[in-house]
Amino acid sequence: MSGIKLTGVSKSFGAVKVIHDVDIEIEQGEFAVFVGPSGCGKSTLLRMIAGLEETTGGEISIDAEDVTHREASKRGVAMVFQSYALYPHLSVFDNMAFSLSIARRPKAEIEKKVRAAAEILRLSDYLAHKPSQLSGGQRQRVAIGRAIVREPRVFLFDEPLSNLDAELRVKMRMEIARLHRQIGATMVYVTHDQVEAMTLADKIVVLKGGVVQQVGAPLELYRNPDNMFVAGFIGSPGMNFLRARVAAGASGRLTIELDDAPGIPFEIPAKAGLPAGEQIFVGVRPEHIALGAREGGIPLSATAEFIEELGGTGYLHALTATGEEMTIECRGEERPQPKQPIRLTLAPEELFAFGDRGVRLR
Amino acid sequence: MLTSERRTKTLTAVLMIAPFVITYLTVFAYPVYKMFALSFTDAPLIGDGRWIGFANYLKLLNQKLFFTSVWNTGYFVLLTVVPNTLVGLGLALMVVRLKGWLQSLVLVLFFLPYILPVSVVTQIWEWVLDQQFGIARYVIELFTGRRISVFRDPIWAMPMVALVTVWWTNGFNLLLFIAGLRNIPADYYEAAMLDGATRWQCFRRITWPLIWPVTALVLTLQLILQLKIFDQVYLMTEGGPFNSTYVLLQLVYREAFRLNHGGLGSAVAVFLFLIIVTVSVLQYQLLRVRGR
Repeated sequence: MSGIKLTGVSKSFGAVKVIHDVDIEIEQGEFAVFVGPSGCGKSTLLRMIAGLEETTGGEISIDAEDVTHREASKRGVAMVFQSYALYPHLSVFDNMAFSLSIARRPKAEIEKKVRAAAEILRLSDYLAHKPSQLSGGQRQRVAIGRAIVREPRVFLFDEPLSNLDAELRVKMRMEIARLHRQIGATMVYVTHDQVEAMTLADKIVVLKGGVVQQVGAPLELYRNPDNMFVAGFIGSPGMNFLRARVAAGASGRLTIELDDAPGIPFEIPAKAGLPAGEQIFVGVRPEHIALGAREGGIPLSATAEFIEELGGTGYLHALTATGEEMTIECRGEERPQPKQPIRLTLAPEELFAFGDRGVRLR
Repeated sequence: MLTSERRTKTLTAVLMIAPFVITYLTVFAYPVYKMFALSFTDAPLIGDGRWIGFANYLKLLNQKLFFTSVWNTGYFVLLTVVPNTLVGLGLALMVVRLKGWLQSLVLVLFFLPYILPVSVVTQIWEWVLDQQFGIARYVIELFTGRRISVFRDPIWAMPMVALVTVWWTNGFNLLLFIAGLRNIPADYYEAAMLDGATRWQCFRRITWPLIWPVTALVLTLQLILQLKIFDQVYLMTEGGPFNSTYVLLQLVYREAFRLNHGGLGSAVAVFLFLIIVTVSVLQYQLLRVRGR
C-alpha cells in the first residue's frame, strides 16, 4: 500500500488548535484536492505533509513509512508554491536544475532530466530566460518543472493558480490534469476554488475550521453531501436553503412543510425521528428548480430580483415570501422580468434535508 | 508666446527649485571651484595668492608625509571597508532569525553606537583600551602576554582606530542588510529546504546573490566614508605615533589651518577628491556588473 495516510493529525499554534484530528487516505497515483474557505487550515495541512510545519499530534505516512517527524527534504515530496518561489537570479534551466545541483548530480544527468521536464512543459525554448522575462503561465510551468525534475513520490500544490487571470487559470487547470495523467504520481492540491476542485480531483477533501467535513469523489460530494456546509460549498452557484418544519415524524420518513409553502406537506426519507414542530433546513440546487407550475411538485411563489445572464443559461435571483434569497437556473428562452411575481416548482426527490446543526437527515 | 497658465507653472517650478539650486551653488559648487583654483596658487588661508601652476602638486610629490598619509589612508580603508561590510552582513544574518520585539531590541542595541557623537565614541574607547585601567587590557594581555598602550604603539594604533570605527558605524550597515534580507521571500528558503539544501547552500545560492545589490551599496558607501577618515584619528592619536596614523584629511588640516598654506592644502584636498570620485564610481560599476 503506497500513497499518503494521515491518522489523527492535529496542529496547534500555541493554545490555538488549527487542525483537528484529521484522518485522510490518499491512494497511490490519486489526485486529491483540499478545498475550503480561507483560514480553514488546508494550506497548513499541506505544509504539514511537506514537512514545512511541525505536526503536533497524529501520524503522517507516505508509502507506508512514518514521516511525521522526518525532515522535509527526506520525505520525497516536491511542492509548487502559490508565489512559484522561482529564484530571480537564476535562469529557467538553473531554477529547474536547482535540486539536482544541490545534490551534486553529474552534469549529463541534470541536463537530461531538465530537458525532459522542459519538453513535457513546453519550456524548451525558454531555458536560458530569467523568470522575470516569462509570463505568469510560463512561470507557473517552471515551478512545476522544478518539482518534476526531482521525480518525487508526491507532488504538493499550494493554490498554484490563484495568481493567474481567469482565462489562463482554465488553461493551466487542463495542463495540470494532463500532467497528472502523463506522470501518474500522487498529487495533493490545495485551493479555495470549488470549480478547480471539481474539475481536477479524483478525491475532494472539504475542510472547515481545521475539521474534515467530507471526503469523496467530486460527483459524490455534489450528489450526496453530508452536511449543509459541503452542500453549500460544492456546486456553482451554491445550493439554496429554505426553512421548514417537521409536521409529523414516523420512523424512516418525515413529513415536513416549507415555511414558504405552508399547508403543502411532503415526505422525505430520514432514519432519525424528529419531534413535530422542529425546525430544519431544506436544500435545493439552482438547477433543480423549475420555473412555473408543474404537476406533482411543491409549488413556491417568489419575486424576481435580477438575472445574471450568461447567454445559454441565466441565473435568476429571487426572494421568497419569507424573505429567503434563492438562485434559480434558467435554461432556454424563458426569462422572468425583474420585480415580477413568479411561480417555482421544487421536485421532492431533488431536495436535501438538514437538521438544525447542519447535519444531513437521510 | 507662453500662455499665462504655462507661465504660472514655470514660475512655480523655478520658485520650488531655487532654494536648492542657490544653496548647492553657494555652499557646494563654489567652494569646490575655489578649492581647485586655490590649489594652483601660493595663497595663504585668507587672501589671494599668485598663480604658480602645478608647483603645489610637484611639492607634494617631494613630501614624505604626503606618501605616508596616502599609505595610511589606504591601510585604514583596507582595515575597515570589507571587514565592516562582512561584520554587518554576518550580524544581520543572525539578527534576522530573531522574532518580534527581541529582534527590535537587538537592532536597537547594535544601532546605539551609531547615534553617539564621535568625541564620545573615542572617549569611551580610550578608556576601554587604556593601559592602566581599561577593561580591555586583560584581553590584550591574554593575546600578547603584556600590557600595551595601543594608541602609542605604531603597530597597534591604526588597527585600533579601525576597530573603533567598525564598532561605531556598523549599526547602520546592519540596518541596510536587515532591510535587504527581509526582502527575500521565505518561500525561497522553504523551496530550497524541500530540495534538500543545507544552510550553507541556502546562503551561497540564494542569500548571497540576492543580497548582492545591498552589499555593493554598503561597500561603496563605506569606501567613500572611510577615505574621508579624520575625526577618530585626530581625537585618539593625532596622527601618531611616528605618523603611523597620519591620514590625508589630516594633512589638509595641517597644511591649510596650522601652516597657513591654503594652496598646498587645497592640492591635497583635490587629490583626495579625485581619488574618492574615481574609486567609488569604478567600484560601484564593477560591483554592479558582477552582480548581474
